[in-house]
Amino acid sequence: MLKIKGLKKMYGRAAAVDGLNMHVREGALYGFVGPNGAGKTTTIKILTGLLLPDAGEVEIDGADALKNHGEVAEKIGYMPDFFGVYDNLKVCEYMELFASCYGLYGLTARKRAMALLGQVGLEEKADYYVDGLSRGMKQRLCLARALIHDPRILIMDEPTSGLDARTRYEFREIMKDLREQGKTVVISSHLLSELSELCTDIGVVDQGKMILEGSMDDILNQINVRSPLLISVYKNREQAVNILRSHPYVETVTIRHNDIMLNFTGDREDEAVLLQQLIDAGVQICGFMRERGNLEAVFMQITSREEEGRVLINEN
Amino acid sequence: MKINPVYRQESKISARSFRLPLIVLVCNSILALVALLDMYSMITQVKTTAEIQYSSFLNLYIFAAAIEFVMLLLIVPALTAGSISGERERQTLNLLLTTRITPADIVLGKLMSSLSTVFLLVVSSFPILALVFVYGGVTGRDIILLLVSFASTALLAGSVGICCSSVFKRTTIATAASYCIMAALVFGTVALQRFAASFQVPGNRSAKQGPVWLLLVNPAVTFLSAMKSQLSNVRRSSAVEMWIGNGSLSVTARWWLGISAGVQVLMAALCLWLAVRQVNPRRKRLWKG
Repeated sequence: MLKIKGLKKMYGRAAAVDGLNMHVREGALYGFVGPNGAGKTTTIKILTGLLLPDAGEVEIDGADALKNHGEVAEKIGYMPDFFGVYDNLKVCEYMELFASCYGLYGLTARKRAMALLGQVGLEEKADYYVDGLSRGMKQRLCLARALIHDPRILIMDEPTSGLDARTRYEFREIMKDLREQGKTVVISSHLLSELSELCTDIGVVDQGKMILEGSMDDILNQINVRSPLLISVYKNREQAVNILRSHPYVETVTIRHNDIMLNFTGDREDEAVLLQQLIDAGVQICGFMRERGNLEAVFMQITSREEEGRVLINEN
Repeated sequence: MKINPVYRQESKISARSFRLPLIVLVCNSILALVALLDMYSMITQVKTTAEIQYSSFLNLYIFAAAIEFVMLLLIVPALTAGSISGERERQTLNLLLTTRITPADIVLGKLMSSLSTVFLLVVSSFPILALVFVYGGVTGRDIILLLVSFASTALLAGSVGICCSSVFKRTTIATAASYCIMAALVFGTVALQRFAASFQVPGNRSAKQGPVWLLLVNPAVTFLSAMKSQLSNVRRSSAVEMWIGNGSLSVTARWWLGISAGVQVLMAALCLWLAVRQVNPRRKRLWKG
């Protein structure tokens, strides 16, 4: 659905985006994550035609986004991190204005606008002035506006920033509805816990480069493998500690009562072998698991850097 | 009906705001006050001397047209200088640019909206200008020439305002820049032409007049040339003829209104092209380096 290859954008001598590659599959809810200044907003601006890159290719639903803006504009809906509303217009007029920007007029535009306002829970506010809406309502109005031309891909930049917990929950529900409708959604956000609940795919960008990309499950499994291994021993703890100390994949061992926490560099098969080894040695085990990884842990690990710029994994 | 979306939205917003009726009210009040005072002074004169000076009606026409022209010069930049920068300040420009409408649609929509306000202003002042028809002295052709001068002035001032609005991010700076450019066109060109004319070459008539072509970009001279026949009736043509020369001697002087209006329309087109380029986020650089 969306492919970016070798995207570059310089601001003076500084590279905002430096050879970024990105792939978003159709129907995915793609979380676009990165620290401040990583190049997320610049990338989104290039995708939406608000900025020309210095180099690279952008393909959206088979069309070259850098050459055919008109064609691509039909396919994408853009919701920026600001409201962008006209205070002297009513809610339905605001929707109809943007409908006419996509060639939808009259009754068609009105019907489409009312359907979308219903979808985001603003149907009753159709005749209110935009000025009188709350922040959360304005945000939902902006979402409805981005969907007015029924785009195939929706690009959102920090859509829930500044919203309260309830409005964020409502927003998540709308996102799930959109996914069920088959829309491809790209969300740039700092609220990682929210993205991990919502997204099917994720891309982590740092210093203008994509440093991790894939499905959420794969990435969380990958991070689970790197998390500490927790072993709860019922009997023969000393025996277990002796075995672990001499094990080639064990880097550190921490003992808390009957729980042993170790940095284990082996994969899942090595874990199974270790468990078998402990049981064969007569250690009675009541718990054996990796500490659960989360998106925040992934983000913190891969965006922490050594002086020479190498990405560090598992630096506890 | 497929109307430019930006124009439609701007018209809707301006129709709702108090600004449009206020502008129409203030402008027409000034014109009406001037006209009524002029009529009053004429009637007083008739009462005391028992004679009617028909040239006073022409004075009324000249005065009312001049006031309207000055108001155009003052109002149009104010209307247009906030058009693009206002969209930027509201953060709606980027939203419009991600849709299917082009930067040219945005710029032209804004210009059309401002010109509609000006059109309303000019049309609403017709009854006051029509007072002069009671006694005659102004033909339909004169009115058309005046409208041509108003149209070229409004188009130029509007385009300059939009161009400044697209170049400067803040509305206040864009407004100040528009007024500076219009002042340079109206007063600067005359000053420059007079300055150049001061370097007289004995016996060289054209050098005495200075670079007259500079005044082709001056909307005030275009307006004066549109009023030439009324001005000559009241013997005030010397200033215009001094600048643009005698119509019987020069082709440029004879067709001054048409040529200068054409030049100003070309300048307006250049300003609009610059504005479209400035608004377009996907514009290519004219030169690299």
